[in-house]
Amino acid sequence: MRQSVQELFETYRNNLYAVAFNVCKNAEDAEDVVQDTFIQYYSLKKEFDNEQHIRAWLIRVAINKAKNMNRTFWRRNKMSLEDYMETLTFETPESEELFETVMHLPDKYRIVIHLFYYEDYTVHEIADILKISESNVKVRLSRGRGLLKEKLQEEWEDDE
Amino acid sequence: MTNKEKYKQAFSTLHPSGELSLEVEHMMLNNKKARFRTAIAAAAACLLLAGGSGAAYAANVGGIQRTIQLWIHGDQTNVDFEYSADGTYNMSYQKEDGSLEEQGGGGVAIDENGNERPLTEEELLEELNSPEVEYKEDGTVWIYYGEQKMEITDRFVDDVCYAKISNGEETLYMTIKYQDGYCISPDKYENPDSFN
Repeated sequence: MRQSVQELFETYRNNLYAVAFNVCKNAEDAEDVVQDTFIQYYSLKKEFDNEQHIRAWLIRVAINKAKNMNRTFWRRNKMSLEDYMETLTFETPESEELFETVMHLPDKYRIVIHLFYYEDYTVHEIADILKISESNVKVRLSRGRGLLKEKLQEEWEDDE
Repeated sequence: MTNKEKYKQAFSTLHPSGELSLEVEHMMLNNKKARFRTAIAAAAACLLLAGGSGAAYAANVGGIQRTIQLWIHGDQTNVDFEYSADGTYNMSYQKEDGSLEEQGGGGVAIDENGNERPLTEEELLEELNSPEVEYKEDGTVWIYYGEQKMEITDRFVDDVCYAKISNGEETLYMTIKYQDGYCISPDKYENPDSFN
């Protein structure tokens, strides 16, 4: 199946932007990633099994493109995370603290945490998207949670 | 609240700008330019990994414009080229159908100590004359390098194609992942898992 780019853009732009920002920590780069991801979908004459297949593909491509952004040392006057956070409106101070804490996690834990807590993916699905083993996902998830708990203490529950 | 609810509340504040929406609406017009940028980025990643210099996109801030000849899709083409001292460029040229094509970009070189400097004009032109991959509307895939062009449509196995190309002076090894970037090396075929 195929869905129109416009339809997918309306549905997933925020998700792709969040996942891209999670990887590259820069608003402009994240926007480029979102655009390039939709362009790749548009250019690719690939048939998908269902909407979840499209969603997983979009997220995987966005993560890969965001990683490339980090590798290629894009020359830009990058806004610092702290400055960018000042432009965001958080519902509560706890939300802001959680956001900042997550963004300071090591890269490999951060993306796994994001896919689990924001995108509601299972360990199996995250392993498939990131092309790593399930046990690796479990380890990263556990270590990421441990660091969040250490920083946020009672603001972060012990969970599986 | 559960951790998931807290997490979603915290990250729901992230939204792309309205500018992106407009860009995507017009991306059918823009996709040529964007793909060019992506291709440059993919090539640069490998060059950087190999310890050399690479190119990356940057906004242009103006410079001296002149007309030069570049190899574009296998044709030597007159290009209005504008280079700025910060390592960025804008260029435009007339396509076969008479329409004007505009591209922009730029880049930095990274030395052994990780220090950045803007690419010189000569380095940028070298990047621009490096091999490129085109996915045509008819579904065929082509590599261009100088005046050489090669169709690789049927050479993909599991979405990966390996191609050895030469412009007469230099031989390069390309690893191309279908619609997912490519990597160029003067020494060997790079592992497709090592990029993107």
